[in-house]
Amino acid sequence: MAYFGNNPQRGELQELYADLNDLNFEKKKEAVKKVIAYMTVGKDVSDLFQSVIKCLEFNDIEMKKLIYLYIVNYSRQKPDDAIMVIQNFRKDVRKSENPLVRALAIRTFGCLRVPKLNEYLIEPLKDCIQDDDPYVRKTAVLCVPKVYEVSPEICPALLELLQKLLEKESNALVLANLIQSMREIEVVSGKQLINLNQKIIQKLLLAVDECIEWGQIFILDYLATYNPQDSKQAEIIIERTLPRLSHINPTVTFCAVKVILKYLDFLDNGELVKNLCKKVAPSLISLLSWNQPEVQYTILRNISLILQKFPILFENDVKVFFCSINEPYYIKYEKLDIMVRICDSKNFGQVLNELLIYLNEADPHFVRKTIKSIGKIAITYDKALDKAVSILVELAKNIQQPTEPVQELLIQMQLIYKKNKQMYKHDESLKIIYSIVDYANEPESKSACAWILGEFGEFIPKSVEKMKEYVDNFQMEDRLVQLQLLTSAVQLYLKYPSQCATLIQQLITSAKDSFNPDVRDRTYIYWRLLSTDPEVVKNLVCFNSGTFSNFSKDLRLWETQDLVVALENMGSISNLFHKLPHQLYKNIKIKINNQQNVKIYKGEEKPDTQAQDQQDENNQNNKKELQQQSQQQQLQDVDLLNFDEPSNNNNNNNNNNNNNNNNNNNNNNNNNNNKTDLFELI
Amino acid sequence: MISSIVFINHKGEILIYRVYKDDITRSETTQFCAKIVATKENKECPIINIDGTSFIHITIKDIVVLATTKVNVNVAMTLQFLYQLVKVCRAYFGGEFDENCIKKHFVLIYEILDEVMDYGVPQIADADLLKKYIQEGGLKPELMNDVEKLKQLTSQATGATSWRPPNLVYRKNEVYLDVIESVNVLMSVKGTILKADVAGSIQVKCLLSGMPECKFGMNDKLLMQREPRKPGQTTTDKGITIDDLKFHQCVKLPKFDKERAITFIPPDGQFELMTYRITENINLPFKIMPVYNELGKNKLEIRVKIKSIFEKNLFATNLAIKIPVPKNTANVSTNSAIGKAKHEPDQQGVIWRIKKYPGDFEALLRCEIDLGQTTNQQPWIKPPISMEFQVPMFTASGLRVRFLRIYEKAGYKPTKWIRYITKAGEYLHRL
Repeated sequence: MAYFGNNPQRGELQELYADLNDLNFEKKKEAVKKVIAYMTVGKDVSDLFQSVIKCLEFNDIEMKKLIYLYIVNYSRQKPDDAIMVIQNFRKDVRKSENPLVRALAIRTFGCLRVPKLNEYLIEPLKDCIQDDDPYVRKTAVLCVPKVYEVSPEICPALLELLQKLLEKESNALVLANLIQSMREIEVVSGKQLINLNQKIIQKLLLAVDECIEWGQIFILDYLATYNPQDSKQAEIIIERTLPRLSHINPTVTFCAVKVILKYLDFLDNGELVKNLCKKVAPSLISLLSWNQPEVQYTILRNISLILQKFPILFENDVKVFFCSINEPYYIKYEKLDIMVRICDSKNFGQVLNELLIYLNEADPHFVRKTIKSIGKIAITYDKALDKAVSILVELAKNIQQPTEPVQELLIQMQLIYKKNKQMYKHDESLKIIYSIVDYANEPESKSACAWILGEFGEFIPKSVEKMKEYVDNFQMEDRLVQLQLLTSAVQLYLKYPSQCATLIQQLITSAKDSFNPDVRDRTYIYWRLLSTDPEVVKNLVCFNSGTFSNFSKDLRLWETQDLVVALENMGSISNLFHKLPHQLYKNIKIKINNQQNVKIYKGEEKPDTQAQDQQDENNQNNKKELQQQSQQQQLQDVDLLNFDEPSNNNNNNNNNNNNNNNNNNNNNNNNNNNKTDLFELI
Repeated sequence: MISSIVFINHKGEILIYRVYKDDITRSETTQFCAKIVATKENKECPIINIDGTSFIHITIKDIVVLATTKVNVNVAMTLQFLYQLVKVCRAYFGGEFDENCIKKHFVLIYEILDEVMDYGVPQIADADLLKKYIQEGGLKPELMNDVEKLKQLTSQATGATSWRPPNLVYRKNEVYLDVIESVNVLMSVKGTILKADVAGSIQVKCLLSGMPECKFGMNDKLLMQREPRKPGQTTTDKGITIDDLKFHQCVKLPKFDKERAITFIPPDGQFELMTYRITENINLPFKIMPVYNELGKNKLEIRVKIKSIFEKNLFATNLAIKIPVPKNTANVSTNSAIGKAKHEPDQQGVIWRIKKYPGDFEALLRCEIDLGQTTNQQPWIKPPISMEFQVPMFTASGLRVRFLRIYEKAGYKPTKWIRYITKAGEYLHRL
């Protein structure tokens, strides 16, 4: 503790300088420790470089390590002084009989990162790559990418040496480091360095059994990027990877899952695929309840990907995603998200019952997300609609304060009414929801209330008075609310022309001079239309479609054609942010999925439920309405164990999809402002 | 891979700072310390991305252990490595890991960091192994000059059995097995089981000479089906279904995958041989039966009956049942035949403690709760009742160790000891 604390004043540096040059060894050592402590807290002690390296003459390994640490830190600031240490390194590498010292020297040598020093490094490094001792070899192998990064031009001979080593090396740990090191160089150079052949694959698989946990991860991670030549090869690799599912390190298990899932695509035996899925699922579920929340989080962030490509793995297992009371909120949010995705026409009751419990949680953000999830389930699954509305209405009954969850409740109810207008009758929902509209205090929830007022004006007592209240405060509202108020007021006017005449006049006067062009334009359009032909306005704002059919079932996170690339990168940072590597890192090349189609692995379909039929029917209508767009997506979701072949030009279709949606939005006029929200992540 | 490893205290001050690649500047890290650690935002998510730099971190008590990177690393591995690093430090500092001991041993920590990671790639990070060649105050000079010993050391470290040093000798060969199960249960208000599982762990303390090969057997259904029945033997024990098993690195996984046999050469001393997860046919040791009544506006009554469901000759110990009470609780009067129940305001609940509790036994606690006045109109959100306990010589899953066979060249007969214990994990009953 004595080492930390005060800033090094000028005087202290001088004191250190004196101590470093003292004849007493202990004093020197203490001084070196102090120097490192200053370095840690971020003080510049580079001026002491010469004095520090002089201390290297002692054969004390602890001190040597500290000095090396110092050199690595400051070598680039003092390249000329660093040259003086080179002899020391070369001596250690060549002369020392102690493998630990040889390894330490070559490891530190590589970290100097001064281009003009690197040429002195090549020869000793070559020696170390061919050293008898595996400990030195595993260190030397990792030294090559260090040099390559700074001076790639002097490295060809080293790379050749690495390739040769890959052929003949038998130590598992060295092999694992070798693979990792060559991959690092591949990333920097952009060229392929590892040439896999049957023999090397065999060797790697053997090494997985023998090396330390990290080594197993390097090798499995690497194998996940390889495309096997045929079904036979895929089968062999999977078979050799299976035992890793029982490893105690969750990352090893997870990497094994990744390799197996990736290679499933290459198997041509459907029965085997099914059996493998049965083996993978329990391992994956164990990882989900891992007792380190951070690790659990990374796994959870990858589940949506697995769910999308392998729905079969979590069949009947929605329970594993239930939140426990003491989990951190970042875990709970992920689980909530997954529960919505995994929900289907069979298990929605179970999911909704669980979500009902979460409404009692203390954290308002979490409750808000829960409400959003309930709304999403209601909108996605027709069968769940009644139950979900009952839950939300029950919640509304107990509301006495304008809290955050209330805002979400109003927004979700608007969406539900949009999907199915008849829901206003359910459990007297309209009456109860209307009783809490005064608690709305966010633009979105206020606009939802305005929408409800306009849409259901005839069922709400004193709706005109309420609208008057809104119009009185028109200038203070957010643009979003203003736009909705315009439409809703016009709707109400058409329903009660005589009562609303002055109201609409007042609204137009205050809105026509708005600073916002959208608000202004909309005001003028309604104004003109109302004064020429109110019938046209009626068709525009009061359309009675009954149910919306184009609330699509799209809860998918990934583009289907990206699934294979995403799967290869399972566990990586990019996947954690639900992106492809090249979207997050500019230096990574876009990897094009050269598989023609993406297989989706579903369980066996049970006889269709009615809801499914209805869904299909809806989709049929959709297709007509929106022409080609949804057809492709439908096909992709078809039962996988029959290996249906979906078409491969999804990209176009998705674009069309978006365009069409946009057009649709416009056509259906302004009521759909919030509709795009449906596709957002919760 | 990883660019740097940093230890930070809760104020956002850097304690240890080790750079492996120089694509990161110190100011980026200090920014993270100031913005994230000092504001406690790090509690919100284990990975934070700021301008292309990813900050992956775990928090151990007050210390944030951070790995930074600019490339697309395997996050799960990085997190696991950080946990392993903390484990190694604890092994060196006698189980401690706090600001004081980090500052005291910073030289040693730098030495460890130099060894467990190279160029941002995780290397040997096994505490027992590291202790062989990294020691506080440097290694003994005898070792540094004994080339034969050093060779043996590096070949162990890089070999296939890195966890066990050769040539161990014990005068008395002994093995201790501990089967520890935690039961996680969530029961609904009506008492139906919503979720139940057992997370088990088998801890081994191994004091054996030489290079013993061990074979371990449990009443695992899948294994027992494979075994040929001995003629004349009629056994009713069909074994139990284990959902998933995870093994220590010493267990030969391919052999388990093929034959479901658990074979291994154990490390020396204490280690966790395996963990397992079971969801079928769980024997819950306790049943909780709560009754909740509102007696008027300012009075509540909660009655909790518990029943032990294990054999009479067994005992549970250290029971603690936590019954939640509202925030505005003014006074609680409790009444029970055994144990002590007390309102503990800081826990927002009544804690009912019982030292020793026999099998097949029922006990009742009655709490009358007087509520104070409150301005908060929100109805009380009732958290679940939770329970802690230990039941020695009982396994909730029904798991039994059937044999542990040990083969060693010397042919010694080791003494074997075994203990079972079941503990409460998250044992919850909704109120």
